[in-house]
Amino acid sequence: MSRENKAGLADRMIAGDTSAFRDLVEAYKKMVYGLAYEMTRNHADAEDVSQIAFMKVFKSIGTLKPGCGLNAWLYRIVYNTALDHLRKKPFFPKAAAPAPAALFSDPPDPSLGPEKAAEFAFLRRRIDDALAKISERERAAFVLRHYHDLNLKEIAETLGITLGSAKSYLFRSIRKLQKELAGMGLCLDKGDLL
Amino acid sequence: MNKCRAGQKLIPEALYGELDMKTQEKLDRHLSSCRECSELYRKMSETLRIMDEKPAPDPGPNFWDGYWDRLERRMAREAGARTQEVRAAGPPPGRRRTRLVPRWTFGAAGAVLLFATGIFIGRTFFRPTADLARSAAISKSSPAAGLSVTTAAAVAPLAARASRYLDRSKVLLLAVVNYDPQASDLFSLNLPLQKKTSEELVKEAAVLKKELRASDRRLERLVSDLEIILIQIANLKSETDLSAVEIIKSGIESKDVLFKINLSEMRRSSEMGGAAARPSDPKRKPAKSGPAA
Repeated sequence: MSRENKAGLADRMIAGDTSAFRDLVEAYKKMVYGLAYEMTRNHADAEDVSQIAFMKVFKSIGTLKPGCGLNAWLYRIVYNTALDHLRKKPFFPKAAAPAPAALFSDPPDPSLGPEKAAEFAFLRRRIDDALAKISERERAAFVLRHYHDLNLKEIAETLGITLGSAKSYLFRSIRKLQKELAGMGLCLDKGDLL
Repeated sequence: MNKCRAGQKLIPEALYGELDMKTQEKLDRHLSSCRECSELYRKMSETLRIMDEKPAPDPGPNFWDGYWDRLERRMAREAGARTQEVRAAGPPPGRRRTRLVPRWTFGAAGAVLLFATGIFIGRTFFRPTADLARSAAISKSSPAAGLSVTTAAAVAPLAARASRYLDRSKVLLLAVVNYDPQASDLFSLNLPLQKKTSEELVKEAAVLKKELRASDRRLERLVSDLEIILIQIANLKSETDLSAVEIIKSGIESKDVLFKINLSEMRRSSEMGGAAARPSDPKRKPAKSGPAA
């Protein structure tokens, strides 16, 4: 679905088109689930957060101002819902925290061979671990920029921060990831954090 | 140093292509002259390249196929739960304030309900016995009869009822017998009341006869004779129907009904007087004198 059509979904919902909500869910479900998963690091929690976020959208679509970006508004709902969810979750000390759920990675390309496939699986696991080690806000800034292709202005809007803060969070997230990956032997050197 | 710090902060924007042309050129010039910043740029770029290897989280087609159904079910479930909560909590305060019925009506309705319940309980569980109710009715209608009721209350229910029956009949018959159209007003008989009383007594006679048949044959015959006369009185059309009144009078006299009633009263009085004299029966009270014969 094109960006224009996606923007039109909000107008259809506000106008009372009952089928528009289903179209919106179908159009945004992967995106919403993706951010929810990156924030919660857990499949069950990600589904829960995504459903709650869609229900919030259904209830409060009337509050969306005409001309405002649906994407940023939707991401902001998911982000806040995920933060609420994480705050309500029982606290586990890091040593006692449950092991992360299995990743939903694409099956390895059979043409690569078993060695390469194992290497890719290892790499993806390390990336996931590195993402889990940075703060929630830094992770949100990085995921929205790198995987969801939001520009810095939209990230600032989504996280409810200033543009300068969004730039700062993005910079720090990349530097921390670089350090984590270097620690795992995936980068040229560790590099000091600024 | 300050130049480096400002340049380094621009690196993420440069990596994602968000810098405008002028700033990008400025950064490029700095990176070409600064080894430290150039190295940072290369490392960050490498980090992003590694991060590209991570695919988007995807639970698979089965998950996505049922996603809408699960969401729809959950929305319906939560809407139902919310409705129940609202019902359990009652109407919102705003509605309470704007209700149509004023608050005091509920208090009044409660008081009326309580009163009605009290009447129902009183009538159902604390009503007077049939005998006492009848006694009250007779004493209201006839002082003479009321006198004998006091006595009758002390004897057995059947005897008491028979006694009251005779008392009422006697009063009725005396009114007819003493009626003299030449000496008194034609309408002094008060026929509607007499007819109504006669009808009641006729109805009661059927029951009394049945009960007296086994215990007191003489009294049963007296009640039968009275029944015929009472039927005649009940069928009187008018006080001015003097011939019919005369027929009733002759019937009373020919059968000596009033005499028999008096005899029955005397017998009863003597029985009760004897019983009162016996010290062995403490429940019996001394009988009062019955109505004059």
